[in-house]
Amino acid sequence: MNGNCFELGTIQAFLDGETAPDLSLKVTNHVASCDNCALLLAESEEQNSIVFSALDREFNSLVPTQRLWNRINESIAVEKSHTPFLQKIRLALLAVIANPSLAVAASFLIVFSLFAVVWSLRSDIANDSLAAAATAPLPLPMFPAVGSAPIAAVDNLRPASPAPLKIEVSNLSPEKLHKFVTNANLKDSNNRPKPQYLVDRTPRETALEYLPGEESYVKTISDLKQNIDARKDNILNPSSRVAYERDMAVVNDAITKMKEVVRKNPKNQSAKQVLYSSYQNKIDLLNSVAEREELMASLK
Amino acid sequence: MLKHFNQIGILLCLTEISVIGVFGQSEPPRPPKAPRIAIISKIPPHAKRFPAIYSGERGTSEKSIAVDPNVEMKLCVLEGKLEINGWQRNEIRVFVKNGSGIVLKALEKSEPSGKPVWVRVTRGATPESQSGPATECLSGENIEIDVPMKASLNLAGRVTETTVDSVKKVTAKNVGGNIVLRNITGGITASTHEGDITVENSGGQISLESSTGNILAFEVSPGQIGDLFRAKTNNGAISLQQVDHRQIEANSISGSVLFNGKFLSGGLYNFKTSNGSIRLTLPHDSSSTFAASYGFGSFNYDFPLKVLTENTSDGGKNVVATMGGGDATINLTTNSGSIWIKKQ
Repeated sequence: MNGNCFELGTIQAFLDGETAPDLSLKVTNHVASCDNCALLLAESEEQNSIVFSALDREFNSLVPTQRLWNRINESIAVEKSHTPFLQKIRLALLAVIANPSLAVAASFLIVFSLFAVVWSLRSDIANDSLAAAATAPLPLPMFPAVGSAPIAAVDNLRPASPAPLKIEVSNLSPEKLHKFVTNANLKDSNNRPKPQYLVDRTPRETALEYLPGEESYVKTISDLKQNIDARKDNILNPSSRVAYERDMAVVNDAITKMKEVVRKNPKNQSAKQVLYSSYQNKIDLLNSVAEREELMASLK
Repeated sequence: MLKHFNQIGILLCLTEISVIGVFGQSEPPRPPKAPRIAIISKIPPHAKRFPAIYSGERGTSEKSIAVDPNVEMKLCVLEGKLEINGWQRNEIRVFVKNGSGIVLKALEKSEPSGKPVWVRVTRGATPESQSGPATECLSGENIEIDVPMKASLNLAGRVTETTVDSVKKVTAKNVGGNIVLRNITGGITASTHEGDITVENSGGQISLESSTGNILAFEVSPGQIGDLFRAKTNNGAISLQQVDHRQIEANSISGSVLFNGKFLSGGLYNFKTSNGSIRLTLPHDSSSTFAASYGFGSFNYDFPLKVLTENTSDGGKNVVATMGGGDATINLTTNSGSIWIKKQ
């Protein structure tokens, strides 16, 4: 460097903006008065322009940087995937153990789980042994006879599978049957013998068959009777009560007899007529008690 | 001396102990009372007529009011013998012997005449007591009322013996007691829960109902075409004599139904009983069609009936038969009773 001239490195740093402000001011003042340094600065700028123009694509593009980050992330993911499972558990346990309260809760949970597992295993083992002992000699069919009458004769059976129906009488003794029923392993569905028939225990519909118009009579009588029965002791004096009960018995007897006749021969119009007449008598009888109460109340 | 005191002391102690032992112990248990034996009277319920009870009021009252001839009178009676008669005067007179006071209230007056057309008879204070009435219903040993012959009556009674004669129309309801109606021209509605109903020489639409009493109607005729005669009792008998209605319904549960008269051409007659018998006494020239359903009962007749259909199966017996031209229709229904058709 001649005199106060700066070195090439300092000129390059000045061009790159890496010099301190004081030094940048000195370089600027000096270059203004020194032709050599000005020439050097110009050359350096020319060189920089050539280099930057050549490297402009690399400097101005983010692709290499993004690609680099992608590679970095991929490398991290691959590394994580290659981490062993036990190591993961170990790390998780270490994180749990770092919190004392979580550690205590986890220990209780582990002890309880172990206890439950042991208990269930013991029960299963006991049932398996009993079932094996009980089911070994049992043949099909599933519904053996009790006494002389087969169950199939008294129950509604429906086939459990599309296989053809087969109903036979079993030769098992009642004691064996009892053992079979009481020792059956209900949990082990795989070892349980499949039923050939299922017994339909749903209650049958017991809807009463009424004659046309009979149901309204029955309902009316039921409603009236419900109202009257609770109060008839207060409404009727003893003599009236005796007469009422006697009449009610007569009517009920007539209804019962006629219902039986109509049930035997539903086309008997004469019996139906008497039956309806008896129903009406019963309604009138019940109504008379209500009317009596009403009249007594109106006269108070 | 001390020895004597000791002896006396010991004696006193023994005496005290014995006294306490005798009187101090609890009273010996009394022998159990013999159970009361319920005596059930064999008298039929409806035989109990006018009650012996009486309120004790001893006043005798009489009041009258001038009314419209077509007046309607409303009255309730707690207890007493009630007699109502129609007379020629346009006036209501009420007389109570040994009973409550009387108040006559005019509820409505006639526009042209200004006289009451709707009157209510209520209870007033007795002359002696002057105390306010606790109820609006009359009571007394005898209650006599005179009303115009065209009057209509609306009566209600608890325990009354009611007799009505010579008025236009009667509506009467009784809890207990007989009802006797005579010469009622414009229709009758009468019901009693314990008692008989008798209707004589009356007309119009008639409805009679008794719970435990008999129903008797004779010389009864309709006021106009289509008037219905209806009689119903639970365990009493129904007796109809010379009832000239074209439509009759008579129904008893355990009593009998008796008809003595003639069936009019085109008439409809229904006689029903559950446990009793049906007896028809008819003139020899009757013209009717009988449809009899007699369940477990029997069907008998004195006439030469022409049997159209007959079913003799037990419980469902029925027969359809005609007599003469078969103009009137007679339905006879019984469950276990007998049906008789006899000549007059």
